[in-house]
Amino acid sequence: MRLELDPAPSPTKVALSYGAFLLLALFLLGFLFLAYGVSPLRAYGLLLSPLLDPLGLAEVARRAIPLLLIGAGLSLAFRVGFFNIGAEGQLLMGAVGAAYVALFLPPGPYTLLLMFLLGGALGALWAGFAAWLRVRFGASEILTTLMQNYLAYYLVVYLVAGPWKGQFVFGFLYTDRFPEVARLPRLGDTLVHWPTLLLGVGAALLLHLLLFRTPWGFSLRVLGENPQAARYLGLKEGRLTLLVALASGFLAGFAGVGEVAGIHGRLLEPAQISLGYGFTAILVAWLARGRPGLTLLTAPLLGLILAGGDALKLAFSMPFRVVDVVAGLLLLALIGAEAASRHRLIWRR
Amino acid sequence: MRKLVWLLALLLGTGLAQGEKLKACFIYVGPVGDAGWTYAHDVGRKKAEAALPWLETRYVESVPEAQALPVIDRFVKEGCKVIFATSFGYMEAVLEAAKKYPDVIFAHATGFKRAPNVATYMADFYQVYYLNGLAAGALTRSGKVGYVAAFPIPEVKRHINAFALGVRAVNPKAQVLVRWINAWYDPAKAREATEALLAQGADVFAFTEDTPTVIQTAAKKGAYSFGHYTPMLKFAPDHVVSGQIVHWDVIYIDFLKKVKEGVYTPKNLQNVDYFWLLQHKAVEMGADYGVPINPKHVPLLQRARMRVAGKEVPVYERIMALLQDMSSPKPTFDPFTGSIRDRKGVVRIPAGRKATLQELLTMEWAAPGVVGDWPGEPK
Amino acid sequence: MEEALVRAVLFGTPILLAALGALLAERSGVVNLGVEGIMALSALAAFAVALDVGPFLGVVAGVGAGVALALFLGLFAITLRANPFVAGLAVAALGLGASGMLGKRYEGVPLQKVLPEAPLALLALLLALVLHLLLYRSRFGLYLRSVGENPKAADLFGVNVEGVRYLALGLGGGLIGLGGAYLSLAYRPSWTDGMTAGLGWVAIALVILAAWEPLRAVCGAYLFGLLFFLQFRLQGSVPIPSEAFAAMPYLLVILVLALSGRSRAPKALGQPFERGR
Repeated sequence: MRLELDPAPSPTKVALSYGAFLLLALFLLGFLFLAYGVSPLRAYGLLLSPLLDPLGLAEVARRAIPLLLIGAGLSLAFRVGFFNIGAEGQLLMGAVGAAYVALFLPPGPYTLLLMFLLGGALGALWAGFAAWLRVRFGASEILTTLMQNYLAYYLVVYLVAGPWKGQFVFGFLYTDRFPEVARLPRLGDTLVHWPTLLLGVGAALLLHLLLFRTPWGFSLRVLGENPQAARYLGLKEGRLTLLVALASGFLAGFAGVGEVAGIHGRLLEPAQISLGYGFTAILVAWLARGRPGLTLLTAPLLGLILAGGDALKLAFSMPFRVVDVVAGLLLLALIGAEAASRHRLIWRR
Repeated sequence: MRKLVWLLALLLGTGLAQGEKLKACFIYVGPVGDAGWTYAHDVGRKKAEAALPWLETRYVESVPEAQALPVIDRFVKEGCKVIFATSFGYMEAVLEAAKKYPDVIFAHATGFKRAPNVATYMADFYQVYYLNGLAAGALTRSGKVGYVAAFPIPEVKRHINAFALGVRAVNPKAQVLVRWINAWYDPAKAREATEALLAQGADVFAFTEDTPTVIQTAAKKGAYSFGHYTPMLKFAPDHVVSGQIVHWDVIYIDFLKKVKEGVYTPKNLQNVDYFWLLQHKAVEMGADYGVPINPKHVPLLQRARMRVAGKEVPVYERIMALLQDMSSPKPTFDPFTGSIRDRKGVVRIPAGRKATLQELLTMEWAAPGVVGDWPGEPK
Repeated sequence: MEEALVRAVLFGTPILLAALGALLAERSGVVNLGVEGIMALSALAAFAVALDVGPFLGVVAGVGAGVALALFLGLFAITLRANPFVAGLAVAALGLGASGMLGKRYEGVPLQKVLPEAPLALLALLLALVLHLLLYRSRFGLYLRSVGENPKAADLFGVNVEGVRYLALGLGGGLIGLGGAYLSLAYRPSWTDGMTAGLGWVAIALVILAAWEPLRAVCGAYLFGLLFFLQFRLQGSVPIPSEAFAAMPYLLVILVLALSGRSRAPKALGQPFERGR
């Protein structure tokens, strides 16, 4: 008995395999809830509850914003084999850029625009550095981007504890609040900073068109699928990698600008700025299978898992780790189902 | 007879109706964990629930600052009447939510901005740190006391300063070596910071972070230590001398009782600020509950002497006398009584008066004897 | 200086063990990004058993938990041929989450019978040596490397690709588990949620830095331990902000990486084995 690739799985089989794996995950989760004295059915209901009320939808949307921006960029980067796992650090750099403009440049009608530009540029710089190290020295970008996360983290700590510490923060680790012109408008009294959301949707669509409708996109796809062919075609691998890295860093920087200008209104302790979006977005990008447009679906999906997990921990006063367990099991179910549907079982050797 | 039964039933019925529970909800910044800030709040919550039969509580842990507002939204929707926000970082969210929900009572720990329905509260340790500083000054042989600190914020700086003032009161030449780990919870950093201090000759340890790591590490090398936040004697029974223990339940019970009795309403909290200390029983000096000083170390502290107003007294006596004074309703002693200069020689608290609450809450300077990096130190 | 070297070894040990575990799996072609979660669950299992039974069985439990969770990852990454990167991240979340939820009652309980660090550190060093010999001096090592470099060829020569990968992943899980046990039984003898504090990710980075060589991993782990210690040892004695010191280990990794140039990963790393393709 062995597994073999199934070149053309039937839709029924795909549906069945997703159904089976999700059921399995829910079954396992059910045990966990029972162990905590919580009715599994109620718990599942709560997981989906963010979809049913405006408050919950706002929560999903708010988380989807950075996930969308970063995820779209990463899906492009992963496509060409640039494994940028430093989006978290690039996001922080974006926040730093935004804070610099908001706090130290004279406020004016262009403040927000400048914040996005500088934030994006710093994010791009951060990712571009890793790409340059890879192209020039062959340093693995998985490692350098990961290490750069820590560097960005400590840079932010240094700024908020030292030179940028606010005059009106009573010694706590914050900068002063951004002036009103440096704040993004929000939807009603939710935390959904809609300009960034639009930016994210735009970025996902634009990258999608770029990748699938332009010659440049074609060369990127060739590079990702067959580097050898790319070399025969005379594509400049280093330059393309660098450009893609810059693009994904730029978008992650945008996400950072959105978080500080739309939600916090100041620079603060780095662990509070992003809720691990840079890492969650890796999953967003993976689930989108290298299609930036698909992040329009996968980002809200991950947003829902996070928001649902939060609703769960709040409703039953459960340990916050329940979010991790839920996310882990559901992810395993998704990739397990995806893999199972691509294969068929052969009963002989 | 039947009438009586009816009457009883009626009474019981109204009793139950009146007995509708007050729902208080807690927002924690970290996981409940084993020893730190959030754990202490959770102990307080549980004790309050046990003490007040009409109280129902709920909590949610590990809420990042940006998440506070949506969490409050949900809590209000589920019928929370009192919401305790237990981290400084929730300040803006709490004030925003207070406007949105004028009928809900909010209490914000460590904050300083209030509103008609937002009170602030804090149980502060600076007196206890001073007393433990006295003991540390008496116990150090190398003249170097280690201090592992989380983040350079006023609360932590205030504690280090109070501790250093205590150390210097006994041993005017002693140094307090400070190491910042830039994390509230990171056992590896706490461990290596302690090792670094041990390597530099520190032989007594205090700390402000959320794990018992410093105590365990110091004990391995036979160094004394002071617990923080919760009783930590059990982590090193031979080496923990004393420590700072919090009783958030004292504040929670007082606050919730007054809400229940109608003393506190969503309209009159503008000036309600708990800055509770030893005298309010909100904090305790102790290696364990009710054990101010580990009996194993009492003889040592009795032998050690210090000068108080020109007289030699045993350090132990001094600690106990000050503890009693500061635990009384009208304390006469305060560690931050002028004149106090910072380590650069600038007078920070003028002679003849105590530090004001404002000065305590915004303390940025470093006391004499403090050695090490000090982010945000005034020039 | 002597203390600094001692710290380098004693703090380097858990990172080394975890890195060796990840390395073993990766040499056979299986990426293991679940290290952080495996370590967390092992630390809990080791602590729970050590508390109720004894420290030695605690170590066994830690290793066992590591093997079990790694094999669980194998179910997805090897048998089902799911994306090993995502499967690893999911296992990391699952391990962290499960340990956090199962371990509540062990929080705040000190361990009385503590394991000494030094013998375990020595064991870790020996294990690195054994791993090196295993990889380069044994038939199994040859199979393992061939499976990681060219599984199709190995398959043609009759090597059971999936079997070897499961074995490498499982044994690696055991090493990671030993690292977790070291943390909760020796390094900081108590258990709290999140006590691995990111060491698992450092270990994964170390594998790349060490270019998939066990002996280089030893140097890397000790170097990281040394820098980690030095950030506190030097803090305040030189006019450099503490944050710059904290960032030092990570900066140095980037530097070393840039200087050491193109690292050579196993060719089939992260590629599920499909026969007949």
